[in-house]
Amino acid sequence: MTKGEAVGVPEDQAQSKKAAKKLQKEAEKAAKKAEKQAKLAAENQADEEDFAKDKYGILPMIQSQEKLDRVLVHVKNLTEDKADQMVWLRARVHTSRAKGKQCFLVLRQQQFNIQGLVAVGDHVSKQMVKFAANISKESIVDVEGYVRKVEQKVESCSQCDVELHIVKLFVVSAAEPRLPLQLDDAIRPETGDEEGRATVNQDTRLDNRIIDLRTMTSQSIFRLQSGVCQLFRETLIKKEFVEVQTPKIISAASEGGANVFTVSYFKTSAYLAQSPQLYKQMCICADFDKVFCIGPVFRAEDSNTHRHLTEFVGLDIEMAFNYHYHEVVTEIADTLVQIFKGLRDRFQTEIQTVGKQYPCEPFKFLEPTLRLEYLEAVAMLREAGVEMGDEEDLSTPNEKLLGRLVKEKYDTDFYILDKYPLAVRPFYTMPDPHDPKYSNSYDMFMRGEEILSGAQRIHDPQVLTDRALQLGIDIEKIKSYIDSFRFGAPPHAGGGIGLERVTMLYLGLHNVRQTSMFPRDPKRLTP
Amino acid sequence: MYEVQSYHLNQGAVELPACMYKVENFHGSTVDAENGDESPELLNLESRQTDILNRLYELKAVVDGLSKTVLTPDADLDVTEINHACSEPTIRTAISLDSVLGKNSGALRDIVINANPSEVPLSLLVLHNLLSEQYRVLSSVHVHSSVQNVPSQLWNCLGKRSICRSRREYQLGFTLVWKEVLKPQMKFSIQSMCSIEGEGNIARFLFALLGHKYDVVTSTQIDSWVDIAIFQLKKGSSKEKAAVLRSLNSALGKSPWVVGVDLTLADVVLYCVLLEMGFEDIPANIQRWVKCCENLACFNLALKPLK
Repeated sequence: MTKGEAVGVPEDQAQSKKAAKKLQKEAEKAAKKAEKQAKLAAENQADEEDFAKDKYGILPMIQSQEKLDRVLVHVKNLTEDKADQMVWLRARVHTSRAKGKQCFLVLRQQQFNIQGLVAVGDHVSKQMVKFAANISKESIVDVEGYVRKVEQKVESCSQCDVELHIVKLFVVSAAEPRLPLQLDDAIRPETGDEEGRATVNQDTRLDNRIIDLRTMTSQSIFRLQSGVCQLFRETLIKKEFVEVQTPKIISAASEGGANVFTVSYFKTSAYLAQSPQLYKQMCICADFDKVFCIGPVFRAEDSNTHRHLTEFVGLDIEMAFNYHYHEVVTEIADTLVQIFKGLRDRFQTEIQTVGKQYPCEPFKFLEPTLRLEYLEAVAMLREAGVEMGDEEDLSTPNEKLLGRLVKEKYDTDFYILDKYPLAVRPFYTMPDPHDPKYSNSYDMFMRGEEILSGAQRIHDPQVLTDRALQLGIDIEKIKSYIDSFRFGAPPHAGGGIGLERVTMLYLGLHNVRQTSMFPRDPKRLTP
Repeated sequence: MYEVQSYHLNQGAVELPACMYKVENFHGSTVDAENGDESPELLNLESRQTDILNRLYELKAVVDGLSKTVLTPDADLDVTEINHACSEPTIRTAISLDSVLGKNSGALRDIVINANPSEVPLSLLVLHNLLSEQYRVLSSVHVHSSVQNVPSQLWNCLGKRSICRSRREYQLGFTLVWKEVLKPQMKFSIQSMCSIEGEGNIARFLFALLGHKYDVVTSTQIDSWVDIAIFQLKKGSSKEKAAVLRSLNSALGKSPWVVGVDLTLADVVLYCVLLEMGFEDIPANIQRWVKCCENLACFNLALKPLK
């Protein structure tokens, strides 16, 4: 538009003249190009014999033919104090960029990367540079080179103080040239879309999970998740808990019947466990006192929300107490606080890496954990203009609003809500001795979303039968459950946490599928 | 089935009034009052007057006693008791939190105070003790994740708390959070109040919960002393501090406490600031007053564990 206006009125003439000129120019260009190519070919032929022939190439498939006495250094260990040393390393080619007589490679190993340089010189021939430039992205290479300090920091790499001057370069495993998604696109912050650059949507990520898992963000998320598990174990074992393994194929649904998976089991059918509830309680009756277990939990709820999975990892705790179930509540809350503290102290780099893509405030908590009662929560919500009954269950929006209110007043992302109304809890929940409308049950929240739901369980078979009858549950079906309390059962309480949810909410992510390595939901069974 | 004794004696028929309400003859009574001096109304009035006079005498005696104990530094008496005895009938109206804070939501009213562990707001701890003397206070101490390595005496600076009682049974919650903040801040009713910053302002709020009522002059004096304590005595130069000590000394020469004959917020805040500075080379009147403060349980209990 603007161009046309600038040129002016005599369009036809000008255009035809221009076109002619253009054609001529192009012809000239083509001729030059051909000439150049011929020259290049001649040159190539000229120094056919390549002096660096055995310093690069594609390695034969490693079939454990020989055991080399070679030390492969991890990329994360390449720092300034390794400067001017000759090292071997194995890494992926993250990107390669050829520029005349040199080629820059970004070599990546897990969430660390370093800049590598192949430049024509004493050790490196032109052909080698060309070979380096042609290695497809994500190929695995073995590289030997000198670690050199750099004048200017390499901002794009995690090892920003050094680069690697490559002298040998072998491809161990070549990747196909076309990738289903680009790693750089997958780690671009969602907020950065003002540049109009591509981001990868959730489904594409999950369809190509193994590539998505290579991103620095995913690497950090799952390293942190492993940390959650480890800290959970560490803390509980220090508190003298026993780790138990419970069966996942069970004969009867433990919590309500509706949302269980049925599997055919020889001539009858069985169910996949919704929680190790029953078995944890049996362990308590079998005098294990304090038990925990980490294992898969199945929920057949057909809900496609950001926080529901059909299979997830449950961290379950059950503990016998002396006189008051708050003994258990404090123990569980303390365990979680220890996990948060451990993550804060040991996984700072991972938290920051995730924060680069998904910016989020650091997780805040109080020690000892804040404990509010249901009635107070209802009062807070009412004050904020929510209309709800005293014994009504918290809806998800109210849960979030309450989280915000608590955050504003107490500045904590983690709190306990105690004394839920009995009506909204399962039949095995112990009623409150002072007010039968309420119960000795509690939920714990992170960033306004429920992560743990627990209660003091009824350990008296008579009371348990009464409660079940009140709620219209078929006594025959839960007979074995009730029977386990007949031979002396200590008072006990417990709760279960979802590992994925804890990781998600600790990092302030928005979808639980991001923290599940191979998520399962009503619509996804693969990969 | 049951035999019940007749509950009224059968002494003839009860005379029921013929009209609906029985009213004494109005005219007749006026005639009586004119005639006899000793009418019931007059007697009543007389007795009420003597009552009031008696109470005034009592009060005077109490005040005399109080000024004596306050003016004698070594008095072992717990001054709070006398203090309350004297102030109750006159100054303090029988108050409940509802009258101070308005409607009751049915749940615990929780006061949240964020304070930096490197700068302990001593006056608030004293006020916490004063509040617990008057109300059932659920006090709890938390450490926010923004600070680490909080010394153990700060973890239980509000004393031991009973765990088992339901939160509903308390009138007031006092939640102290050790946190990385520049100034102490208080959050109470987040829907209608912004957070209150500064030790002095929080102290004013907490003291007001005790329900003391002062006239305009006294309350302004108290406010002014609190400001002086926080801004001049605590943060001022040595010159300013000396000036404050001089004026405090002269104020304490006139009355047993900083403002008037009662312990007020001014005493609490000033004492706590002085305690932080250390009581070195302080004038005689202040020394005497310091001893009086230390005799009180609320100061003693709150501050001893921190020393």
